[in-house]
Amino acid sequence: MTPTPTAPDGLGTLAGRAFAAYRAGERERLSELVDIVTPVLWNAARSQGGAPATCEDAIQTAFLQLVDRADSINEPAAVLGWLVVVVKREVWRLARGARREFGVEEVPEAPAQQLDPEAQTILSERQRVLWSHVATLTPRCQELLRVIAFADRPDYAAIAESLGMPVGSIGPTRGRCLQKLRTTLGTDPGWAV
Amino acid sequence: MTSHTDAIDARDIANLNQVRDLFRHADPVPSDLAERIKFAITVHALHAEVAELMDSSLLTTRSVDAKVEPTPTDSVTFTAAAVSLMVSAGPAESDAIDDADERVRVDGWVTTPGAQIEAVTTEGSSTVISDANGRFVLDDLPHGPVHFVVTDPGNEDMRPVITPTIQI
Repeated sequence: MTPTPTAPDGLGTLAGRAFAAYRAGERERLSELVDIVTPVLWNAARSQGGAPATCEDAIQTAFLQLVDRADSINEPAAVLGWLVVVVKREVWRLARGARREFGVEEVPEAPAQQLDPEAQTILSERQRVLWSHVATLTPRCQELLRVIAFADRPDYAAIAESLGMPVGSIGPTRGRCLQKLRTTLGTDPGWAV
Repeated sequence: MTSHTDAIDARDIANLNQVRDLFRHADPVPSDLAERIKFAITVHALHAEVAELMDSSLLTTRSVDAKVEPTPTDSVTFTAAAVSLMVSAGPAESDAIDDADERVRVDGWVTTPGAQIEAVTTEGSSTVISDANGRFVLDDLPHGPVHFVVTDPGNEDMRPVITPTIQI
């Protein structure tokens, strides 16, 4: 099967390049990094079920940690994955209160995705149909698909790993989550274009 | 039949694009989140004190009026423990009248003579030193968000002061 054309450089590559330049002394490139990765991080945070204010705090904390530890990060190219891991852990830490720390291997799984009732009223008919299908997937698949949807194909595998998915759950092959979404949409006569 | 071991194809990408649009619509990234993060990073990196914005009503709404009011004199004042800063923005002087709206001139006054004022804009940053009376001019700034970082090269004990972001 012919791969569909995508941008040669995924989000992760662009982010890694901006971060490497920042470390090399181009301080203003950090703004570029923030602009590139904030949508992915927002969705990674919100997919954990955190309140909006909690998610904003988690993302800000992750960036401040990045600045503090910039020189000790081994792989600047993997900065997107590093930020996703920190944001996810930070949302859980803030949501549960500081009294309980989670170990590296111990970040809990995301809950099923929720949309505010108010948000549901502004969806288009097609988005409502899509939401009803997404909601049938496992919480892990919902989380994965929501976050990678904001990245590019070359980033899928690394992001899945950052979210704690087994290696090979997605990219370059479709993986079970994307396959399930495809199947459930395929069985809906109302979805076909 | 398709299988989960197949390569990701155009249909999968199209499905993911729909998922992205769904969440972008239902749970959008707060519009000023990225700017607030950048500001927090700057404050953190400089160990800076954040100045308080004393009057913001005029400058932030100025851009739509710029064409009908060629010489706006709106000014805004920031106050911190060590220093106060007043700035006003107007069109930069230019030979071509058509270009008058494209660049911004900021006239400012700071309570510390010889202070270094850095204006951080979408284009990067411009730096100027205030004169013996504390006055300074930044003549070639772009429209849009800007914040100022004030340091005193003659006084290493003074923490840098950073202002909230305003629109010029």
